Amino acid sequence: MYDIVNGLINTTFGWNWPGWVIALISHLLVTTLLFAIAPFQMLFLTYYERRAIARMQDRIGPNRVGPAGLLQPIADGVKMFTKEDIVPAAADRWVHFLAPCVVVAPTMLMFAVLPWGPGMVPVDLNVGLLFFFAISSISAVGLLMAGLASSNKFALLGAMRAVAQMVSYEIPAVLSLLAVVMLTGTLSIVQLIEAQAGLFISSADVPGVPDLGLGWFIFTPVGLLAFIVFFIAALAEGERTPFDIPEADSEIVAGYMTEYSGMKFGLFYLAQYVLNFLLCAIAAVIFFGGWQGPGVGWLYDRAISPANPDGNWVFNLLAGFLGVFYLLAKTYAFFFVMVWLRGAFPRLRVDQLMDFGWKFLIPLTLVNIVSAAIWVALLRWGPEQGITFTQNWTPILRWGVAFAVTLAVNIVAYIALARIFAASQAEQGRIDLDEYRDTLTATLR
Amino acid sequence: MTVKIERGQIVTVERGKRTARRLPGMGLLDGMAVVWKHWAGSFRKNQGFNDIHGVFTYEYPEERPKLPEAYRNMPILLYDDETSHELCTSCFQCERICPPQVIHMTQAKDPATGKPVPAVAEFVIEYDACMSCGFCAEVCPFDAIKMDHEFELSTADHQKLTVFKEQLNRPISYYERIAPTMWAEVRDGAMKKLQGNIKRRPDVIGMAPNLAEKIAARRRELEAAAAAATAPAAPAAAPAEGRKLTPEEKAAKLAAIKAANAAKKAGDTVEPPVAPAGAAPADEKAARLAAIRAKNAARKGEAPDAPPVVAGEPAGEAPPADEKAARLAAIRAKNAARKAAEGSDGAPVEANVAATEPAAAPPAAGAATSAAEAATAPADEKAARLAAIRAKNAARKAAGGGSDAAAPTTTGNVDSGGPGASDDAALS
Repeated sequence: MYDIVNGLINTTFGWNWPGWVIALISHLLVTTLLFAIAPFQMLFLTYYERRAIARMQDRIGPNRVGPAGLLQPIADGVKMFTKEDIVPAAADRWVHFLAPCVVVAPTMLMFAVLPWGPGMVPVDLNVGLLFFFAISSISAVGLLMAGLASSNKFALLGAMRAVAQMVSYEIPAVLSLLAVVMLTGTLSIVQLIEAQAGLFISSADVPGVPDLGLGWFIFTPVGLLAFIVFFIAALAEGERTPFDIPEADSEIVAGYMTEYSGMKFGLFYLAQYVLNFLLCAIAAVIFFGGWQGPGVGWLYDRAISPANPDGNWVFNLLAGFLGVFYLLAKTYAFFFVMVWLRGAFPRLRVDQLMDFGWKFLIPLTLVNIVSAAIWVALLRWGPEQGITFTQNWTPILRWGVAFAVTLAVNIVAYIALARIFAASQAEQGRIDLDEYRDTLTATLR
Repeated sequence: MTVKIERGQIVTVERGKRTARRLPGMGLLDGMAVVWKHWAGSFRKNQGFNDIHGVFTYEYPEERPKLPEAYRNMPILLYDDETSHELCTSCFQCERICPPQVIHMTQAKDPATGKPVPAVAEFVIEYDACMSCGFCAEVCPFDAIKMDHEFELSTADHQKLTVFKEQLNRPISYYERIAPTMWAEVRDGAMKKLQGNIKRRPDVIGMAPNLAEKIAARRRELEAAAAAATAPAAPAAAPAEGRKLTPEEKAAKLAAIKAANAAKKAGDTVEPPVAPAGAAPADEKAARLAAIRAKNAARKGEAPDAPPVVAGEPAGEAPPADEKAARLAAIRAKNAARKAAEGSDGAPVEANVAATEPAAAPPAAGAATSAAEAATAPADEKAARLAAIRAKNAARKAAGGGSDAAAPTTTGNVDSGGPGASDDAALS
């Protein structure tokens, strides 16, 4: 965007404005664009979710407002705006008012590092991934504010559950991403995407692989396990159905949103769906190559870019469209999986959620980090790091050995951990049952 | 898979075979596979009870399921398409059985006699309290009340849910369309009963009030029949009428015969030319009695608002001669009959008076001339007999005219001739 604005103002018009003005203008433009896009994503996702879940339940879903019900989210929005805004008398007025803002702001900030297409990233931070997940944790503060300020027991319960859940599940999410960071050696999201060129084998691992934009991390054992863990953690972080404990409507009304109405409730809703969109997008970016796909790399090579200043702007356009298309297709596919899981599974109990996170997912990610270390050692390291036996191997052999070893490690670890977890859960169930029986007999006696 | 048993079908849904769970987490994938099948199957319609996939939704206002024949919502009344006669005979069975007691009706009455006829005058069902149990339709012996398939009854106007006969009426063809086999089962019996009931319904009673054309046609038909019956009956004894005589007519005829017989008897006893006064007090008494009977019988046919009879007053006087007594009896009988005619011809519709004027003229003229003749007749037994016969005819005519739709006698004609004639007869 900076390049386009700079080219327009300084080259085409020849006004020679200073760099900071150009930067300001370009960033304002990008921000405006993103702030316009985010609510529309939320509107579309609500419609999309309702239609998809309806199909899974042998229904049709909203189909009355507009063609195929496409204007239903607009109608919902109008409803939301016209609702009365109620603040409980006992509420902490200011905290109650600020909580939705604190929840929405981080989700908007997370857009800052999300690449939409080749060269289409608002800010290419070298710690983009860290920024993304550090910012996403801030919304937990907003949730706790909402729960505390409402002075409602359900809101407080919901907020405490939300914070506990988010804190617990950030650990497996970040640890699973750590494995991917180890594979690439970078925290920049743009470089993470660029490392996923190739065809089932990343061209970063094996030079000379044809670049079809399909060298995704999901095709490596490390990436697959990391993706599974990350997606489960993302479900918990986005409060999607198997883990929608903070707003379990059959238990605690609506959790921390209980005392909110009108547009404040709408803001929570917006934050939740935007967060879900972002989590799906980041899963697509990190494990499924983001905008990578057949054709994008070829088009971008012919476009204007820092590496190729005298390209054709038409290819910029084409590469951008194709890249955004790939990214959104992947994102919506993941959101469909989220809806699918919502259609398939019932809600977990709080203790089940915590057990699953701490006793199963975290050990699994730790094993995955070991696998990632093996992968890196076999593929990247040489004699200078002390790995001498791979010295004479061809890159494809190295890749094959790494693939087999990490796959074996991961599968064995997965099955072993699952059995241990199942055994521990069964034992815990027995203990609980015995306790219950004892108390029951004591009461009856 | 379905199992057929005597009372219908049992539908069992087959579960997919359980997969061996070697890898942990496969159960989750099984669950997701179930949901996936539903999602993938939801792009077509559900086929039937055996089908667990596919969309079940009926997009209601556009898409309406075919209701089963025995579906019941609210009761309706049936009428025959051809004759537009309602099947309801106002037997009160439905009103009696209705659990929430929302059916109300009044029975139709013959305007001529005030007696109930097998037809319903007004029929009300309070749809707002009806519980759609269908007892009324089940209990109806004439298959007149049936359960409708119409269910879109929501309204902002509560009063509209009290439904009257005009809104309840549906043609049989409508019911045949919504429930063909159920109507076919009862059709023959219902139509037979309806034909029997139509015979017992005078005028246009029992016809669907919303079919004005049919009613008008029926009325014209009845008029034509009545005119055809009265025109040849004026001079003759008029037994040509196809229908049975009403009880009033019968009574009038009987009384006239009795009067005639009594008069004849009186004539027979005073066979000698000169009749001495007081010679036959018994005969005279009998004649007077007969005349009173005739009068009473004729008066029975009157409408209740008829003025009290004054013809009986001179009966208290001592009649000097037998022949005089006989003539007097005849005149009295005639007067009574005429009064009956006057009283009852107010009930039928006056709109047709003009049309029936030619038909009405001959009997009126006949009555007048007979009275005049009676006044000038010689005092003999022949005259007495003639008077009795005339009295009989006049009574029968009056009775027939009173019960017919087309009243043959207009009051003006009779008034001009009647009282004067009777005065003459009394004086002579």
